[in-house]
Amino acid sequence: MVDGSALEGFWLPALDRRRLDIKERAFGPGQVPLALPALTPELLRHSLIEAQDARARFLAERPVAELLRAIAAAAGLLTRPGERYREELLAVLPEITGYSRRMIEIGLQRMGEGWTESALTAALKAEFDCIEVLDDFQPREGGGLNRAYGPSLTVHFFSGNIPGVSVTSLIRGLCVKSASFGKTAAGEPYSAVCFARALAEVDRELASCLAVTYWPGGNEELEAIAFAEAEAVIAYGSDATIADIKRRLPLHARFVPYPNRVGAALVARSALNRAHAPQLAQSAARDVASFDQQGCVSPHIIFVERGGEVGAREFAEALAQSLEQLSREIPRKSLTPAESTSIHQLRAQAEMRGATVLASAGGTAWTVIVEERPQFEPSVLNRVIYVRPVDDLSVPLRELARVGRHLQTVAVEGEPSEVNALARRLGAAGATRIVPLGATAWPAPHWHHDGRFQFLDLVRFTDIEQP
Amino acid sequence: MNQRNALRARVLELIERGVHGAPDPDAFDRLALDVFRYQLAENAPYRRFCERRGVTPDSVGHWAEIPAVPTAAFKDAALICGSPDLAELAEAVFRTSGTSSGVERCGTHYIRDLTLYRAAALTNFAAHLLPEGVTLRMLILGPPPELAADSSLTWMLELVRTEFGGDGSRYFVDESGLLVDELAAALESSAAAEEPILLLGTAAAFAHLLDALPKTLLRTARGSRLMETGGIKGMQRQIQRDELYAIFGERLALPELYCVSEYGMTEMCSQFYDNVLYEQARARPPEFRFKVVPPWVRTQVVDPETLDPLPKGRIGVLKHFDLANLDSVMAIQTDDLGVAGAGGFEIIGRAAGAELRGCSIAMDEWLTAQR
Repeated sequence: MVDGSALEGFWLPALDRRRLDIKERAFGPGQVPLALPALTPELLRHSLIEAQDARARFLAERPVAELLRAIAAAAGLLTRPGERYREELLAVLPEITGYSRRMIEIGLQRMGEGWTESALTAALKAEFDCIEVLDDFQPREGGGLNRAYGPSLTVHFFSGNIPGVSVTSLIRGLCVKSASFGKTAAGEPYSAVCFARALAEVDRELASCLAVTYWPGGNEELEAIAFAEAEAVIAYGSDATIADIKRRLPLHARFVPYPNRVGAALVARSALNRAHAPQLAQSAARDVASFDQQGCVSPHIIFVERGGEVGAREFAEALAQSLEQLSREIPRKSLTPAESTSIHQLRAQAEMRGATVLASAGGTAWTVIVEERPQFEPSVLNRVIYVRPVDDLSVPLRELARVGRHLQTVAVEGEPSEVNALARRLGAAGATRIVPLGATAWPAPHWHHDGRFQFLDLVRFTDIEQP
Repeated sequence: MNQRNALRARVLELIERGVHGAPDPDAFDRLALDVFRYQLAENAPYRRFCERRGVTPDSVGHWAEIPAVPTAAFKDAALICGSPDLAELAEAVFRTSGTSSGVERCGTHYIRDLTLYRAAALTNFAAHLLPEGVTLRMLILGPPPELAADSSLTWMLELVRTEFGGDGSRYFVDESGLLVDELAAALESSAAAEEPILLLGTAAAFAHLLDALPKTLLRTARGSRLMETGGIKGMQRQIQRDELYAIFGERLALPELYCVSEYGMTEMCSQFYDNVLYEQARARPPEFRFKVVPPWVRTQVVDPETLDPLPKGRIGVLKHFDLANLDSVMAIQTDDLGVAGAGGFEIIGRAAGAELRGCSIAMDEWLTAQR
């Protein structure tokens, strides 16, 4: 029974709370109880229709500039020190996700940089010549006019690996004036609800265009209702999850999938000079430690060119030291027995193969495996990083091309001309984001997410042709 | 080597005292340290493993301090004592079955000579499956050695069949799979003749048998018993241990205390059996079912993260110290989840196949996609 103290794990403003069958469900290593309603198909459909209704009344004709102000104000309640919502997230998310409080703090701060008015404006301007095209017909290059319309309803299927991504997703929906329904994941079911509540404080009408809740995966009946109402579907998850959703997508819905991604790093010998290498190692360590490598942006493997002032082995040792330091500043999340065990087993296998294994003592907090193996292979993550010495970066380039379909962020270090040359080849291979070491974890607010459009992929245009 | 022969003789002597004889922990303690020092000196990959951990012959004062090699290590090194050429001369080579990812190597356990393996397997099996000293016809729901040459389980079943199996003991799996009808006929005929039998196989094989004959009433005579292994892991459908044994009771007329679970692995020469039938035969129906740790083995339940021992009642991963592994590595870190209690330990499942969440890719999926 709900004793009144459990947090609410849902935002369903169209439903009368008193009529709902609400039960508590415990989440995460901290077993945090969240109150959740037993949703029937009828209740879900009603929520989705009401959200679209609210959108027609309060969102569809709201000027974008005003919208961004409201969104930023709500997001500020999640990111400004001292705000109740931020304090709540800092207390609750570590218990739900297992990430350390410091990690959550950094995450909220960095992601929050993308939730400001100026960041959102820049992101929109990167995709729309004139952002008022979301408000009214605007002249077009080539003649005529056009206007962008967001979906009446966007359905988001969130994954639980990175707290805050769900908030960004809901914000994107709002920016294109779409109502949103978010189905949260067990790994992190709370930040989206928190944002909706914060938005309600700033602008209740806008918040009535959102609906968020959790149900255990595989409920095809409820999912079918969501699909039927959706004009767009955004899905985050494994290739298998995405394929399953795609299979059931109605013909009319626009699909924006974010499936499996892998990251890597390439370090040219020119970058490995005495002056620069220590900072590179620290940057690489931050990339590995951010959200414990669980993000689509995270590097699994670092290819290091031999022949620099600083050798690959030395670089790996510096990386190990930085990871040790970070393990104290930003502790790695607690793992399940399966996750811990697979790291111990992996370390032993690598050792037996003759690889150099630099490992945290007394546990699996971090692992650096130095080995001469040309192939790309994915890490088990949770701060396990492969360092592969190579004679020449062209070998790993071929390897990365082989996995181009899954490639997203590649960190590249070298002389500017080398970086440009590598960027061209990486781009051709399928990489969608090239950054310096240290920058992998926090994409620019206006980035091409997986090489695509954050907003354009959601909207449709109406053209007025004037002969 | 003289040293090896001496150690082998001592381990053999300990095994031959039997599973339920008077305990002699000092014998284990002394022998374990001697075996460890021998392995440190003779097993090169193991020595390097220990050296990297700052462990020397003198720094270990108790068997619990002996560095345990994770089972996965058997995939990437020949963990044998003596020159690597001895791998060629091994009397038997056991390999783990294919993992979910085809490109992964399998774990290989080179058995230099089968003496200790035989002694441990036979003593332990007899104590827990044939505690009354009877001879029973064995019906094996598994392939014969010709079809599974590198399976340690197959080899063990052949060993016990040869040593203890009554007339008509045979295998019921060939290239086409489980010979369901023949097995059903054998069950029927022995039941009709009031002849108790011993069924042996993986839980999956038993499930397959029962699924293939949903309407058939299969019977077994009083005194019949069953050994299942693999338990609930590796099964297509999810089924709990209690449910499985209830099904054995209903469908095969086998009382719960006559169903004995076996736990073993390619990387270990010794096995573990449930206590239940042994206790039942001593007219002491047990309160709890647990795995018996034979006197030449020690098992710890350790924290999966730190690998430090956990107290009884806490779930962790199992670490075994097996003297019968004289010629390879005696201390093995598994990824099997378990819990210790009075008398022994219980297996809960495997702590393996860690899933990666969200947009980051899972190793298994990756390797599948690459095939």
